Parts: sequence; structure tokens; C-alpha cells
Amino acid sequence: MKVLLAEDEPDVQLIARLSLKKAGLEVATVNNGIEALARVAVERPDVILLDWMMPDMDGFETCTRLKADPATRDIPVIFLTAKVQESEVAKALALGAAGCIGKPFDALTLGAQVIHILGK
Amino acid sequence: MSIRARIFAVIGAVVAAAFVQTFAILVLEGQRKATNEAMDRALSRYENQSQVMQLVVELDSVLRAHLMTGQPALRDEYERLWNLYDRTITLLPQYLEEPAAKKEAAGLDAAIRDWHRNVSLVLITQRPTVPDMPQLLEQMNTPRMHQIRGMLYAFQTRERNRLTDQRNSANYQYLIMALVTLAIPALSIVMLLILVAILARILLDPLAAVAESARQISGGNFDVVLPPASSHDEIGALVRAFRDMSTAVQRRQRDLTEGLAREREMSQMNAALRTKAEHEHARLQATVATVPAALVILEAPSNRVVLQNKAADVLVGREPDGDLAARQAYWRNFQATYRDGTPCADDDWGTARALRGDVTVGQELIVKHPNGRTIPILISAAPLRDEAGAITGAVAAFQDITNLYEVDRLKNEFVSVVSHELRTPLTSIKGSLQLLLAEVPLPDPDHRKLMDVALSNTDRLVRIINDILDISKIEAGKLALTPRPCDVQDLIRQSIQSVEQIANGSTVTLALVVAPGVPKVLADPDRTIQAIVNLLSNALKYAPARSEVTVDVRPEPANFVTLAITDRGRGIAPEKIGQLFQKFQQIDGADTRQFRGTGLGLAITKALVETQGGSVGVRSEVGQGSTFTLTIPVARQ
Repeated sequence: MKVLLAEDEPDVQLIARLSLKKAGLEVATVNNGIEALARVAVERPDVILLDWMMPDMDGFETCTRLKADPATRDIPVIFLTAKVQESEVAKALALGAAGCIGKPFDALTLGAQVIHILGK
Repeated sequence: MSIRARIFAVIGAVVAAAFVQTFAILVLEGQRKATNEAMDRALSRYENQSQVMQLVVELDSVLRAHLMTGQPALRDEYERLWNLYDRTITLLPQYLEEPAAKKEAAGLDAAIRDWHRNVSLVLITQRPTVPDMPQLLEQMNTPRMHQIRGMLYAFQTRERNRLTDQRNSANYQYLIMALVTLAIPALSIVMLLILVAILARILLDPLAAVAESARQISGGNFDVVLPPASSHDEIGALVRAFRDMSTAVQRRQRDLTEGLAREREMSQMNAALRTKAEHEHARLQATVATVPAALVILEAPSNRVVLQNKAADVLVGREPDGDLAARQAYWRNFQATYRDGTPCADDDWGTARALRGDVTVGQELIVKHPNGRTIPILISAAPLRDEAGAITGAVAAFQDITNLYEVDRLKNEFVSVVSHELRTPLTSIKGSLQLLLAEVPLPDPDHRKLMDVALSNTDRLVRIINDILDISKIEAGKLALTPRPCDVQDLIRQSIQSVEQIANGSTVTLALVVAPGVPKVLADPDRTIQAIVNLLSNALKYAPARSEVTVDVRPEPANFVTLAITDRGRGIAPEKIGQLFQKFQQIDGADTRQFRGTGLGLAITKALVETQGGSVGVRSEVGQGSTFTLTIPVARQ
């Protein structure tokens, strides 16, 4: 399974990548929403992990665009949120996200969580 | 005796006097008649006697004439005269009363008769034979006649004197009578006058006295002496009545004076009070004007603004002008909502509530004016009452808490930013540690322990951040819950799962008792689990080794489900129970480190449960243990 991770923090990128790799998932990482959209056009992932707060284009806007584009609408989107606001989760789900994973996440189970969400 | 009786007496007296007078007049009349008769009698007597005298003289004269002339006519005349004398002298005694007079008259009559017989008749008879009649006459007649004449004259003189006396006496009597006739009415008049005077005195004196007293009293002098009041008559009654009235008037005068004095006192007091009130009012004005909070005074029941200080003008964004009506209108235009957006009715403003008698402190409202001006304010209001306790108005203080909101917002922003910022490195740390722990073999148990320490502390940091964020959200009112019908047992099971790590590590056992018929509850599952987890972890922390922590679920009170989590720990002192659910409270500081709490858990639990319409509670006995309860509303079907 190909995972596209949009996350601006390099450390978190590393953790997530390693964690997902442990779970047997292929990970591609981008730094922000713009890059994510560009990357999606190039290589279609099976699931997109979006960080909520990113420079230039945040997760919310990225997801909006992804869902607006019929080509990318069907790709499941999972948000990584600091769960600062409950409204984030509600907004995310309203956008059509498949789920949210809160930060800090359990690095050992990140992959499993993603699969679990996809399985729903 | 009453006046009426007295008047009747007077009239009676008048009538009596009239009678007396009439009687007197009658008596006098009788007397006069008697006197007249006496007088008549005396006159007749004198007349008779005069006639006698005259007759005697005439007899003598005629006799002489006859004797001298020898005329038979004269003799007839003499006889006629003698018959007349006879008749007349016979009449005389009846006029005479005194025996002396009678005797004298008799004597006189005898003498005359004797002359007649012995002289006159003799001479007459002898006339033709007598040569010297004159001489014989001289011899026989003259002395006798002289004597008789003398007697007659004496008699006559006496008679005349008598008559004069009689006349004098009669005159005197007449005078007396006249006087009496005059005197009687005069006396009557005098008596009447006296009676009238007495009556007047009896009537008028008291009246005059009463009138004078009335004058005195109306002049203000109450020291009047009233005449004694006889208890029997109307004047007495008047005097008594007047006396009573005078007393009453005096009393009333006294009351009036006292009343006036009291009134004066009262008005002085009023003036003093008014001054004091004005002073107080001035003080109030000064206070209101200068106090930095926006103060408004309203009147009941109209809810109109009657006083507003400058700060209030500034708050509502008006120029502080004197136009009270404009200000009142301005206030009316404000619409208010609570912080969460629900509208606040005009009646629910703290000011309106104060007018109904409720004291409001710190009512938070967001007021919006049609001109767009929106201000968050804090209203504190209290009713103003008068002495009777009735509400006359209200005083309200408004505080513009825009700054506070801003500060709050900044704080929340700060908190959210910070917690976000903190989570990111924590993600990295936790992730790194976890992956390392998974990848790197650490044969040394101490090394493994170190890794555990690092990981668990990372988790602890995360928990702290979560708690801080939760509290911040709760305080900002931004705790968004999504309640839906849940199965309580399910929630509990998930909670137990979360505390598995703590439970597994200890000898404490967890027992779940669910009463039959527990319905579904209306709850936000994640947040409710958070609350239950908090209580469970607390219980597990404080439960001594090998003891049991009981979770008891019952469908009570009505429309609620209660979870009671009981531990047999050391319990909580009564004085600490009140503070338990407040922020940053732990039983003692040592626990914070030992049990790795943040001190926010119970406060968050309380907020979470209460926001969902439930409640939290605690019962504890030192040395016995504690039971924490949590109620959740039942989901309506």
C-alpha cells in the first residue's frame, strides 16, 4: 500500500515513515499541501496522510481540493491532528476524511491504525 | 327653678300685682266713697245745721216782724218756718254721730223748742195785748234768742270746725288715696322692674359671663371663671355646657399647640434629613460620576435609566451629554446574547432581574447595538429598596470585558498554539523512543528500564498537555461535545481497557456491578470515557494492595444513570472534600509525583460530566475509602 504523507515537521516525517514502514506500508513524504497535490498528480497513493497545520497550504485546504477534484476524490484521506480543537475532527470528517489520528501517535501502531481506518 | 318657671313667676307676679292694684284701687274706691259719704254727711250735717241756724234766725226775725206788725202772713210764715225747722231738726241727729254732738243738738233743739213754746208762741198769742212789744221782746226774746244764737253759733262754730276738720281729713284722705293710687302702680312698676332686673340678672348675668368667657377664650385666655351653674335651670345647663366646651376647646388648643410644636419639630427634622439626603445624593452623584466602572441607576418598574455616569456613556459609545431620554433609548436598542450565542431576553438582563429583586453578580453578556457596536460586558446589579422594602429601582455596574475576552482569546490561542507546538516534538520523541525500543535489543534490564522511563514520561507530558488544553477549552466554553445514545456498560468496558496498564501492574481487583434495567445514556462517548477513566485511575491509585475497586451502575435517580466507583483507600478528610473537584487539587503534594497526576483530572471530569447534564459527587471516610459518583442523563427514546 502506498501512503502519501504531507507533514512539515521533518522529525515527524521520519517517525511516521519508519513507523509505517514497520507496518509494511510504502511511504512518500511531502512538506505541504501544494507539494502533496503535485505529488498526487504524479503518483496516485492508496491513502493520504495529511497533517493539519502546514505552511503555504494547510491540511484542510488540501483535503478540500482533493475532494473537489474528481480524480483525487476517492483517495482516502486521514488527518494527523494535534486534536487541539474538537472542531478540527468535525471539520475533517465533514470534508470527507476517512479518519483522524491524533498526535502524538503511537509509533508502533500507526500503520495498524491507518489500515484499521481504511478497513472501515 | 328653671328659667321658664322664673319667667312664669315673674308673669305671675305681674298678674298678682295687677290684681293687687285692682284690689287696691277697689279698696281705695271704697275708701273714697266712704270719705265722700262722710264728707257728704258732714256737709249735710253742716247744711242742716246751717239751715237750722238760718231758720232760727229767720224765725226770730219773722217772729219779731210779726210781733211788731201783727201781720198774719208773718205768722203763717213763722208757722211754715217752724214746720220746716221741725222737719229739719229732725233730720239733724241722723247726721250726727258723736253722742256729744247729739246731746248738744238735742240741747239746742230743746232750747229752741223751749223758746218756741215759751217765747214765740206766748208772744204770738199775747201780741195783741202787749203794749210794749219791743220792750217785751227785749225782755223775753232777746236774751233767750241771744242764748240760743250763742248756742247755735257755738254749735255752728263747732260744726264748722268739724266740717273743716272733716274736710281736711277728707282732703288728707283724698291725698293719701291719690298717693296710694299713684303709689300702687308705681310700686308695681318698681317691683316689676326689680323682678325683671332680678330675672335679667339671673338670665343675663350668666349669659354675659358666658359671652365674656367666650370672648376671653377666643382671645386665647383660658383662665376664665364661669358663674356657678345651678343644676336646675337652662342657664345652668348652658353654663355647664359652656364650661365643658371651654375645657374641650382648651384641650384641643393644647393638642393643636402640641401638634404644631411637633410639626415644627418634624419639619426641622425633615429639613435636617433633607439636607442630609441632599448631601448623600451629592455624594452618590460624585461617587457615580467618578467611579471607573460604568454605573447605571434604573427606576422600577419602568426599567428606565435615571442616572448614568460618564464611564457608562463611554461604554455604550455615546457622547456624555445630558440627554437622559436619548440615553434610555440607546440602552433599549441593545440586544444581548450569552457567550455561547443563545439570545438573552430583555427580562433576563441582570438589570431586569434586579428590578424583580434578584441580585446579579457577574452576568456575562454580549450586547450588540444596531449600529454594529458589539461589546462583551459583565453586569452586576442589585435592587434598590425604600424603607418599606419595596423595590424603587436598581443599580447596575457594567464592565467592558472586551479586554478580558481578548486576554482569554489570546490565552486560548496561546494554549492551543503551545500545545500544538508541544505535541509535535513529543510526537518525535515518543515515536523515536518507541521505534528504538522495538528495533534495538537491550539486554541490560536497566537499559530497558531507562527506555521505559523515557517513554512513560513522554506519555505523561502528553497527558499534561491534553489536560491543560482541556481545561483551557472548558474555561473558554469551547468544549464541544457530541452526545449520543450510548450503552453504559460499553463505555465502562472501554474505560477499563484504557486503565489496563495501571490495573495490570497492581494487585487491585476491579469489580463491575450493573443493576438490571440500566437504560442507554445520552453522552459523548470519548469524553465520558475520559471522565470514567479519570475516576477509575484515581481509584486504582488510591486502592491499597489486594483490595477491590468496585464500579456500581444503577438506573437512579430518575432519568439518570449513576456510576459509583469505590475504593478502600485511605479516604479523604472532610475539609478537603470541598476542594476536590477544583483545579490543581491533590490530596497532598506528595501524591502528585507518586501518582503522576496533573491535579486537573477531577476538574476536567466534573466539567465534562456537568456539561453533559450530569453531576459528580464524592463520599469519603478517612481510613475507610472513597466513593466517587458520576451521573449521566438517560437517553430519551
